[in-house]
Amino acid sequence: MQHNSSARSGNNTNTEPAPVRWLLVATAMLFLTLFLFVPLAAVFSEAFSKGWETYLAALREPDTWSAIKLTVLVAAISVPLNLVFGLVASWAIAKFAFPGKSLLLTLIDLPFSVSPVISGLIYVLLFGLQGWLGPWLQDHDLKIVFAAPGIILATIFVTFPFVARELIPLMESQGREEEEAALTLGASGLQTFFLVTLPNVKWGVLYGVILCNARAMGEFGAVSVVSGHIRGMTNTVPLQVEILYNEYNYAAAFAVASLLALLALVTLVVKSWVEFRMKRQEIQS
Amino acid sequence: MSIEVSGVSKQFGAFTALQDISLTVPSGELVALLGPSGCGKTTLLRIIAGLESPDRGEILFNGENAHDDVRERQVGFVFQHYALFRHMTVFDNVAFGLTVRPRKERPSKGAIRERVHELLKLIQLEGIADRYPAQLSGGQRQRVALARALAVEPKVLLLDEPFGALDAKVRIELRRWLRRLHDEIHVTSVFVTHDQEEALEVADRIVVMNKGKVEQQGTPDEVYSRPASPFVYSFLGTVNMFHARPQAGQTASTEHHSVGYARPHEIDVSRQDPGNGAIAVTVSRVLPLGAIVRLELARVDTGGLMEAEIPREKHEELWFTTGEQVYVSPKNLVVFVEDYQI
Amino acid sequence: MSITKSAHNRVLPGFGLTLGYTIFYLSVIVLIPLSALFFKTATLSWGDFVATVISPRVIASFRLTFGAAIAAAVANAVFGTLVAWVLVRYRFPGKKLADALVDLPFALPTAVAGITLATVYSSNGWLGKYLEPLGIKVAFTPLGITVAMVFIGLPFVVRTVQPVLEELEPELEEAAACLGANRWQTIRRVLLPSITPAVITGFALAFARGVGEYGSIIFIAGNMPMKSEITPLLIITKLEQYDYAGATAIASVMLVISFVMLLVINILQKWSRRYAA
Repeated sequence: MQHNSSARSGNNTNTEPAPVRWLLVATAMLFLTLFLFVPLAAVFSEAFSKGWETYLAALREPDTWSAIKLTVLVAAISVPLNLVFGLVASWAIAKFAFPGKSLLLTLIDLPFSVSPVISGLIYVLLFGLQGWLGPWLQDHDLKIVFAAPGIILATIFVTFPFVARELIPLMESQGREEEEAALTLGASGLQTFFLVTLPNVKWGVLYGVILCNARAMGEFGAVSVVSGHIRGMTNTVPLQVEILYNEYNYAAAFAVASLLALLALVTLVVKSWVEFRMKRQEIQS
Repeated sequence: MSIEVSGVSKQFGAFTALQDISLTVPSGELVALLGPSGCGKTTLLRIIAGLESPDRGEILFNGENAHDDVRERQVGFVFQHYALFRHMTVFDNVAFGLTVRPRKERPSKGAIRERVHELLKLIQLEGIADRYPAQLSGGQRQRVALARALAVEPKVLLLDEPFGALDAKVRIELRRWLRRLHDEIHVTSVFVTHDQEEALEVADRIVVMNKGKVEQQGTPDEVYSRPASPFVYSFLGTVNMFHARPQAGQTASTEHHSVGYARPHEIDVSRQDPGNGAIAVTVSRVLPLGAIVRLELARVDTGGLMEAEIPREKHEELWFTTGEQVYVSPKNLVVFVEDYQI
Repeated sequence: MSITKSAHNRVLPGFGLTLGYTIFYLSVIVLIPLSALFFKTATLSWGDFVATVISPRVIASFRLTFGAAIAAAVANAVFGTLVAWVLVRYRFPGKKLADALVDLPFALPTAVAGITLATVYSSNGWLGKYLEPLGIKVAFTPLGITVAMVFIGLPFVVRTVQPVLEELEPELEEAAACLGANRWQTIRRVLLPSITPAVITGFALAFARGVGEYGSIIFIAGNMPMKSEITPLLIITKLEQYDYAGATAIASVMLVISFVMLLVINILQKWSRRYAA
């Protein structure tokens, strides 16, 4: 892109007069400022509006701590499960031709087009007291909805496509030749996968995992439906932000929110870096 | 190790890639599968390798059924675009086949190192063991791919368009080198090409394929000078066609449209009508091309274009010029009865 | 030469195992739970279902949700295309940072976005205090809902249009110029038609995301029944009142709409690639 724009700057045919350019840039940046930059700055500004002590005190709150622990637990379970699924599914879909492939791809994308509220609702319908399995679960003293398992299930659902949809096109674009070469040299299926396929898509894996993790830690709607909002028990960090905010404890709400905003920024940095590496890998080959 | 392909057919959906192919590759020979793109030669090569399985027919190595599993078949396969592992160095690429062996059969680290360096020496790339494929030139990648395939001591070596992705000069160097290499190691080899010059120069035997069938197999000399079909004739070089026109006094049966073929160097050119049915033509261009001189000719009667090649000495003696009328007659006319369109 | 391999003969191992696991996991996590919604809906009588779905409060929420989502998607189509254009074509300070931050709405948890937008656009917030004197009230109005939907839909148009713009060959415009087109004609007749499919795809994606959105909206919306209550919130309200049947009925309507949107988006994406080599 950098290369493109410098190539373009040299010729006058393909560009607009300078005043038009500046007007367009200014309009675009004003739009981004109103909708992105100001809100991002506001998170941190509000978080520190009452000073460092209040900020740190808000984070040391036991309920906040247990929310952080639950969020990390939820991500630690749902991300690896979806990672394994993504690797397995992309192998089947990218390396083989079979009928019904495009239907399968559409079904994998399905959770992205379902409202988060519905993503939570379906688990309430399955496992809630009035749900299909509700009575059975109650007889056996098992709790899924309004407890950690429900939160984990809903999170797996909303983050389901991330790794798979990143890896499938990447593996497809790399073809089968290197795998076939490995097989003719005597490698086993697993050796081929771990020594040849995986190293070639490692940046794609990282990319998918990063985005999957960001969503898993930040999911609000789906988790809100299944959590039951029991303080210190079934609250994740985003739910904790909601509770603090609704109690008019703005400084604390934004302090906790700033952690999530920080996570988002780290995600974007890693994502940009991975994109840079992927582009470089592409240019090299 | 000889290779025998027996009655192999392969279908891709509605497309027939191979139709009842049978051929033999004698042990230690270097054989070319030659044909235009889409003729099924790559599919046949992949079936020999075990990368593709035939719908019918079988592949025999030394008279025995080749193993179904590509990993057990022990072939060395050089892919058209090399398929080098891009995240591994040249050394690791070449060593790959040895390092993935089960622990019991795997050579020691030292033995692997020795073997790889031996191969890198063979391909004349000792100095670049630590580079990555992206840092190599096309010709270097090709040789690394070859070394990688040879590292596992394959029973047969299969190469898919080995020189296809290289520029003209490197291509010529590399095919001579491949020929010398084969004379050194004598592993039974099959390579796919669409370039007749490449096949004629490198191969011990040539299998000419078209539309999923074998048109002819034989030594380069056989297929070039005794082509079995109009297709082979025209695919192996420039050709002049002489359409026999039904004329009074001609013996050829007139129901069949018969066509005579002669290569440019098999055409006699003279200023006087030799009187043996020679054709009057006009010289449209004279192209001195080193040792030979090519004449582009236009028939006076039909306007059809022809090419003749004469030795330079003869040209210096006769000195044909553009625009003059001369007479041509084929020295060696091969007649096929079926009509064939180039 | 590319060879399409039919499913019944393949060299790479593991097809059955990996496809089997893919379908199993997909069924357990996605398909079976989603079908629960439809089975639950099927247990409602047709009369109850219709009565729930066309009750005034539900209709009002649909109108609000879809209206705001369309308005937000239109805003994103216009400004998103502009942002993509500026990022691809011009050089200016802060460009790389702006480019990276466009993805912020993907990465920022919706609850954080929600409380922040509510604060920034409230009557004494950073932006609200300048808008209020102009008579523009954002927070706790339908406009606020649109603002939140613009935020969460922002990356879609930019990220679908940007790669298309990057891949446009400069030769196209040079050819148009050589043929005598002025800059505006070139943009209107050569550039815009090439990026229109991407803009429409981005619009559809942003719209679909806006319709289902919950977290970033509820803080800024005000949530007044009939006035500023979005459909996802209504589902939760029903659920909290233990009206499972009502929640299910509304949810199934929304789900069907999202499936239709998904289908439309798929068709659009195929259509947008129709000239691709």
